[in-house]
Amino acid sequence: MKHFILSFIALLFFVFESIFAQLFASDVFGADKILVPRFIMIFVFFLTMFGSRKIGMLYGAILGLTYDAVYTEILGVYMLLIPFLAYLISKCMKILQNNILISCLVALLFTAVLEVVIFQMNIILSFADMGFAEYMDRRFVPTLLLNLVFIIISCYPLKRIIEMLDLQGELE
Amino acid sequence: MPQFFNKKLLLLLVSIIVLVALIGFSLREREELTWPEKFLKDTTGWVGNVFNKPVSGITGFVGDLKELQHTYDENKKLKARLDEYVLLKTQVQDLKEENEELRDNLGKEDDLRKYSPIQATVIGRNPERWHEMLTINKGKRNGVEKNMAVITSTGLVGKVKVATDFTASVQLLSSIDKANRVSAIIQGKDKAFGLIEGFDDEKNLLLMKRIPYDKKIKKNSLVITSGYGGIFPKGLPIGKVVDVKVDQYGLNQTAYIEPSTDFYDINNVMVVKREVGGVEDEMDGEDEVK
Repeated sequence: MKHFILSFIALLFFVFESIFAQLFASDVFGADKILVPRFIMIFVFFLTMFGSRKIGMLYGAILGLTYDAVYTEILGVYMLLIPFLAYLISKCMKILQNNILISCLVALLFTAVLEVVIFQMNIILSFADMGFAEYMDRRFVPTLLLNLVFIIISCYPLKRIIEMLDLQGELE
Repeated sequence: MPQFFNKKLLLLLVSIIVLVALIGFSLREREELTWPEKFLKDTTGWVGNVFNKPVSGITGFVGDLKELQHTYDENKKLKARLDEYVLLKTQVQDLKEENEELRDNLGKEDDLRKYSPIQATVIGRNPERWHEMLTINKGKRNGVEKNMAVITSTGLVGKVKVATDFTASVQLLSSIDKANRVSAIIQGKDKAFGLIEGFDDEKNLLLMKRIPYDKKIKKNSLVITSGYGGIFPKGLPIGKVVDVKVDQYGLNQTAYIEPSTDFYDINNVMVVKREVGGVEDEMDGEDEVK
């Protein structure tokens, strides 16, 4: 049952990401800005923080693989990157205080890390043709703003749902 | 150092090897996807399709309301052009008939321009935005095949990159990929052939490369597909020339083309299947896919 609810939320975010990209691809937020929704990743980050590390990494790997297969068509990048970041997050949260503000900031920080790693990855695979300064201005800052808004909106409901499911006892 | 080779480090190394292997595997030119990928694509496509209807209903309504504001002005302009249109229509009709007659006289039935369209709705877009790709709700079951041209009512937008049973992903012309080429013609007195490859996404212009240096290209001339690639029909509009530059070594020219379609606002597309087939199956899309 727990996994059913979690998978359902994950699937919703997964599809919503693509619909969001389709709806806001035109110049709603200014002509040359590119906003990348990272809802799935934020979901996994919160799952790791409020739930458990194992479940976070497991969902990260599955969702990452789905993301690779469905959207980017280059297997492996998200599949390994998301669980790795989830692992780092769980390490971070052991040091940091576990309150909701800190959680939001950490989630934002890791979204930023993910963005930059993906950018470098695309540079290596020569799918990107953009200088770093241009990247910062056109993609990085708008993307972070969008995801910050999403984090603020979703963090409390997600925290409640994940804590209600009580994942701690299940896999650890 | 026994603690150096601990489990976690080993796991990290193994996953890096897996990463490189997987990337190598997926970057290869693949004819078919593996079945798990197809399964994932079809499943998420189905869910996307379910959500697409209400969402597009709402956004369509909002869009209609916005357009309502400009209706009066538009109506005035359109009325002014209506007479022109009637004239043009009779001319086109006349030319079509003449063309058909001449074709009959010659006994030539093949025509690179002929195609049959498959209507499709866009149900998603790659959120990552590095690979500009759309997902549409028609797949192999509806006759969509790899490498077919995808157009909107205003012009060419891209080609089918992957087709699964119920969905297909469309690679837009604006996506940066060396395998993404379309053979095109710049219309004018002196026709110039070239390849559309690459996109300047700061200025939103397509690049048409490999035009011979001695061709004189006028600004504002129209660009259409040439149909010599093997799969794309001839005569699909792409855009118009806004600027021409000579290449680094002076052997070729590059034309900057303003696309006739807005790549960021696509909702309904047509996948077109050319009626005259390519030369051989192996030769299919020689120009488009290299």
